[in-house]
Parts: sequence; structure tokens; C-alpha cells
Amino acid sequence: MAITAPFSYPESIKEKFTATQGLKFKDGSTVSSAEIWEFMTKEAPTRFPYAFDAGANNMGRFSDDVNFLSGIKRGYLTLTLKDRVMKEHAAGTPTVLVQGGQAMDAYYAAGGLPVRPGLVMQWARNMHEGLSLRQSETLGLNILESGRRKISIDACNQIAAHAAIDNKVVPIDLIAPFLCLRCSDMSFLVETHRNREHDIPRYLVDYPVDHENKPWAAEYIATELRELIAKIAALSGRTVTDEVIFDEIRLENRGRRIATEIADLWWGAENPPTNSTDFFGIAFLANDFLGDPVASVDLLEQSKIEIEERIRNNVRGFGVPDHAKRLYICGSCVGPNAHHAQTAGAIFVGRDDSWSCISVPVEEEGDPYLNIARSMLAYPYEQRTEKRAEWTAEQVRRSRADGVIFMYQWGCNYQSGVARMISDIVKEKAGVVTTFVEVGELGRSEATEQSTNRVEAFIEMV
Amino acid sequence: MGLKTLDKITAALESRPAELEQLRKQGKKIVGWLAYNIPEEIIYALGLIPIRIGQGGDGRLVEVGARHISTKNCVFVRQALGQFAEKTDPYIKQLDLVAIDATCIQLYRLEELINFYFDYKTIVLGVPRNFATTEGHEYFRKEVEFFTKKLELFAGTALEQSRLEEAISIYDNIREAIKTLYRYQSLDNAPLSWRQVSSVINAGYNLDRLTYLELLQELIKEIEKNLSAGTGSREIEARIFLSGSLIPPGDTKLIDIIEQLGGRIVGDDLWSGLNFFLNLNIQEPTPYSVADAYLDRVPHGSLPYLDLESDGRLANLKHQIKEFNADGVVYHTLRYCDAFTFKAGETKDVLGNVPFLEIHTEYSGSDFEAIRTRVEAFIEMIKSKKEIAELV
Repeated sequence: MAITAPFSYPESIKEKFTATQGLKFKDGSTVSSAEIWEFMTKEAPTRFPYAFDAGANNMGRFSDDVNFLSGIKRGYLTLTLKDRVMKEHAAGTPTVLVQGGQAMDAYYAAGGLPVRPGLVMQWARNMHEGLSLRQSETLGLNILESGRRKISIDACNQIAAHAAIDNKVVPIDLIAPFLCLRCSDMSFLVETHRNREHDIPRYLVDYPVDHENKPWAAEYIATELRELIAKIAALSGRTVTDEVIFDEIRLENRGRRIATEIADLWWGAENPPTNSTDFFGIAFLANDFLGDPVASVDLLEQSKIEIEERIRNNVRGFGVPDHAKRLYICGSCVGPNAHHAQTAGAIFVGRDDSWSCISVPVEEEGDPYLNIARSMLAYPYEQRTEKRAEWTAEQVRRSRADGVIFMYQWGCNYQSGVARMISDIVKEKAGVVTTFVEVGELGRSEATEQSTNRVEAFIEMV
Repeated sequence: MGLKTLDKITAALESRPAELEQLRKQGKKIVGWLAYNIPEEIIYALGLIPIRIGQGGDGRLVEVGARHISTKNCVFVRQALGQFAEKTDPYIKQLDLVAIDATCIQLYRLEELINFYFDYKTIVLGVPRNFATTEGHEYFRKEVEFFTKKLELFAGTALEQSRLEEAISIYDNIREAIKTLYRYQSLDNAPLSWRQVSSVINAGYNLDRLTYLELLQELIKEIEKNLSAGTGSREIEARIFLSGSLIPPGDTKLIDIIEQLGGRIVGDDLWSGLNFFLNLNIQEPTPYSVADAYLDRVPHGSLPYLDLESDGRLANLKHQIKEFNADGVVYHTLRYCDAFTFKAGETKDVLGNVPFLEIHTEYSGSDFEAIRTRVEAFIEMIKSKKEIAELV
């Protein structure tokens, strides 16, 4: 695997970086840029060497654009997730397994710490420090396979998160995801916990499919949200009033708005102001919040200022190829390797999954439960496939994409089922070339040649 | 076993496509439906002709379907899509509307695809995952009400309580008749086999419901007459119970193997089999009451349930194994049918000492011999165990 020197941040940017503001956290604490620099250049490379593997196959590789300083802070939030979650958990904050691509407002408002399956796996791998990329991935794959042995070889990679919980690799206090929201495996995997040695409480938040013009669907979710919040609050000890929920909604809405504004700025720029890794990382912050919405929103604000400045100065993100072909990415959980795509001459300009969630703010007045429910039901990604594809086509037009890649992970029954239909509709409505690719490399960076070849061939064709 | 009524059922099936053609010419509309929770009583009560769709066992159609969907979707879904793509099936080509419920959300995807690619009019009935809760019931009541309104518009008529009452009565009697047939096929000197009962159920997909009920009642009378004759012999047999993913009409691979190897299927808890006919008690002729009854019956494996001890599906499984005096369970799972595949290990744990064999398969014949070897060993094991028990 990694035969190149590990990635590191050059000393030449230290002064500039440490002159920027640090980050604020939800517990009122702050971290200075100097402390972030120290962590990212000294502590983290020792504790998490896999993250600094500079091999092009490393899907979680940091952005090469070291002058995009917010990117370094995003790396900091990512690599400190384990420490922060363990600290909060030790102090009594319940950790909750949730679904990806959903609103987190209710979980945080109730005093919980929501972690989606991808973050659970990152957390689980980070429980062992000092690992190389290969060692870290092997650890992850061992957990994954232990899950498949117990449940089924047909399960998608999400089973790794459930196995990490079963195997007590990470402490989860409540399993309470939304079901049928972008994924069909989740419901069956949650159910498997009823036949395990642990006694972690479980709750299902049902997400009704085919919900258009059905007000009772929102009422159903709202009732479930009340139950969910009550369950989390019972664990966290927090008194959750409507105002508490609205405070969280307002905070997370701010994140959603900033991310949307950044996308508009980015799309309108003559030169892409960041590379694909940084661009996607920004949008992701507004959906996932990496365990701390306050810090994430703070970082989103800083990111926006940097991007505005780059656009004013017509700066192109480091690594963005000349005359880059612009690709829009569809599908859940997995996406093409940004570094390979850039080498092949392309840049990613949008993503339907996590961007769907940030495109719908929650109403800030009225019944907060119903408002969250209505917002979630309005996610473009969760509409009937034709409608979802029309939204995607509009995104493709707005982002001036030249092509679309729909990618899904092996074992995914739900997104794979409509990959062709969405590709067909977007091709017709947006007038761009599309393709769909099944891959098996979620959670690993070896044996990825086949999908890399297919993506590169598509880029060449574009 | 030469039951004359079975021949009559076969003859009725043969003439059914032509009969439907005539009915359509007279202005009748055909509603094809698929899944587990579509309240067929409402379709029937509105004067529409319900046809239950979904077949299996045809690898070629699976490939046709796979052009529009992924190979990560189960073969049943892929074959159904293949049927809609080809439109050669005598029933599929005559459908005026397709109703699918979202119990299995792969089937929900199927609905979207046949609507988009093959221009079928479709309607979806949402089904709550939290089916055992008050809010789940409330949601489903509204869904069934909405479903009924859409069907009323399609039928051009309003749902009359008296018609619904009549439909409920017909369907109640059909369910009772199927349960009776299951009881008879499991007897030591059974006058018909599980396979024949399965064929009778499959015939019910397409036949006029009143005609079907009459044939079922006639069949039961004929069986009861044969029962009194008391023929047959008692020998050591492996009484097999089928569980897991559906085994739809046309998918005979596993059934053939079990029977060829001397196993005797005596029961099932398949949603394409007996479960569909169990514990459905509609209290009043209203859409709300219909909704409640459907949610309260034996739950489908696609609907998650978080408490192992009180799971109605597993309780039913244990009860049926006992009821049919089965010696072992063959748990059949279709590749990428996660609902049942993920439960295989758990089901084995729950059944404890009951011999249990999981067969994970598709519709292709490539694994025929592998399955055959495993089933053969399973049947041998059961028979040996019984022989030893008799000696002791």
C-alpha cells in the first residue's frame, strides 16, 4: 500500500493558519488554531497514521489543498471525534446509532449524540491507535466480517457498525435510526439486536415511503419523534421543551443555509475555488455535524469566508485540473475516489445524497416535531424516484455538470434498484451523459482498480 | 391422488385468461396486486377484478428484469419486472391497474419501475414499519382510506358497505377453506399433498373469487369423502416445514428436491403460503376495520419487530411447526431478500432443538446439486433420528 511519504502540513503555512480563529464547541469550550495545528501536525500523525497515508487509494485522504485552512480544521474535527464522543459518553451523554442522511436536530436537542454507521466505524477503528492504513482497514474489515458471519453475507457494509456495537468495540446507548430513509438494510439490522447478548434499548423511527400529499405521514413521524426525544431525554436527563428543540433547529438551519450558500457561490465561480474533497467535506458538515453542531456551524462560517475570498481573487482549488470535467455524484454511502478523478481530469460538483438533507431547512415556528417531520418528508432524495431524478437534473444544470455518476455499494438493495432509472431520467432532462457503477470498496482502499477504471473511462468519454 | 375437483380447478384456470378478455370487453377493469397487505376485499367490493401477481423460478425473465434493476435486488422482484417488460403473461398483459403495498420496499421500487418504464398505472399502499403501535395503526388506517378513495375514482363508483360486507364474507370463507386444506394435507393418510394445496392457493391468484370459493368448498367435500375411506399406510417419513422467503407460483426447485429425496412437506409459514390466510379478522365492513385487521394478522418478515419474546411471526412459526407435527425446518432464503435472510440465524436459535436447514438460493439451476446434497443429508438425518427413536 503506502509507499509514498506520509502526508503532512508544511511548516510554511503554520503562521498563516495559527493566525486564524479556532473553533467553538457546544459545551462552551474553545480550541485555538495553534492547538489545532499542534494536534494535526504532531499528535494526530502519531495516533492515527492511517489518516496521513498519502496513497491515492486512501478514500479518507486529507485534501492536498493545504492553503484552504478550514480543511485542516475539518480534519481536526474528524480525528478528534473519538476523543470527544468518549468524553461526552463518560459524562453521561447517550450515544445513539442513527441513519445517515437524516436530520439530527431531534437527537441533539434531546441531549443525545447521534452517530451514523460510517462514523461508528471510524470511531471503532480509531479505538486502536497507531495503525497504518492497511492495519486500520484490516481491523475494520474484521469487524465487518464478524457481522456478516452472524447475520448474512448479503448485508451491505453498514453491518460493520452493528457488529462494532455487538462486539462492544464502541459504547452505544440507544439504537434509534430512521428506517426506509435511503436504505432498506437498516430496519433488518436493527432488528437483529433483539437476539444479542447486549441489552441496548432500541427504537425505530419509521419513514413512510410514497408520502406525497399525505399529511398523515408527517403526523406519524411527529408522534414517533416525540417518543424518540422522550427516550433520549430519559437517558440524557435533559428537559426538552419546544424552545430547546427550536434552539437546536435554529442552529442546524444556520449550518444548512451556509452550506447551501457555499454551494451557490462555488457553482457560480469561474474557477472551482476548492477541490472535490474540500467541497464535499463542507456540505457533509451541514448534514452530519461530526458530533458537535456548534463547532460544525462555526467551521462552515469560516469555510464560507475562505471560499468567498478565493472567488474574489479567482483562486482555483489546489488539485483541480485544467478544464476539469464537472461530475455530479448520485447514490448513498459511497462515491468515486476524488483523487483519482482529479488525476483523470474531473472535479465533483455536487452530490444528491447529503445535499438533499441540507436543502430543506426546518420551519422555526409552530410544532417543532411536526416541522422536523415535514422537513424530512420534503427531502428531494426521498421523493418518488421520478421526482427525485427531476431535482437531481436541476442540480446538474445549476452546478453546470458535464456528467453524472450514480454509485452504489455492493449489497445495497434500495439505491441500486433505481440507479438506472435515475440515470435515464437525468440524462434526458439535463442532457448530460450518465452512468451507474456498483462498487465493493466501502471501507477499504485495496482492490479498487475495477471501479477506478470504470470511473476514469467515463471521465475520458465525457 | 386423483381428486376430481383439482382437475376442475385446472380447467377453470385454463379458461380464465379468455374469460378476463371478455370481461374487459364488457367494461370490467382488472387490478393486479402484489405483496402482503393489499386489502383485496376492497378491490373486489368495488366491482374490480383482483388478480394476485408475482411468479418465480424463471431465470430468463430474471435476466430480462435485471436490465432495468440491479442484481442486488431479489430474483422475485427481478422476475416480476421481467414479466412486465415482456407483457406476454396472459394476466400481466391485461392489467388495468397495479396495486403494490410497501411491506417489502424492494417491491415499492418495482412499482416505480413498472410505472416509469412500462407505462402501467400503479397505486401504492404505504405500510408502517411500526405496525404494532397505535400511531402505526393510525397511519395505516389513513393509507387504506386513501387507497380506497383512489380505487373508487378508478372504478368510477363508491364503496358500498353492503358490497364490502359481502366481499369480507367471501374472503373469510376462502381463508377458512385454505386452513382446512392445510389441516388435511398434513394428516398421516392425507388425501392430497402440500404441493397440491400450494397449487390450489396459486390458482386463487387468478380465478374469480366466488368461483374459487365454490371450488374450494367442493374440494373439501371431496377430500372429506376420501378421508372416510381411510386408505394409506404409515411409514417413517421426514415431515418438512418450509419457512423463510416466499415460494411463488413457478418456483418449484426446492419443492422438487425435497420431494424427490423422499421428504414430505407438511406445512409452511410463507407469505406466499399459509401465513397469508391466517388470523385476519375484520370486525366491521369499513376501511378502518379492514386496515386494523391486516396489521394485526401474522406480521410479514419485512416489518421489523424489536422484541424477540413477543414477536407474533415467530410465535406463529413455532405454533405451526407443532400443529403440523413437523420434524424439521427448511428455511428458504432468496439471495438479497434481506428480510428473511438476516433472520435465518435468529430463527434457528429460537427454534432450539428443531432440526433446521437454511437454503440460500436464486432461480438459476446452478446450485441444484449443492442444494440436493444438503437436503438429502438433512432428510437422512431426520429419518435416522426417527428410526432410532422407534427402535428405542
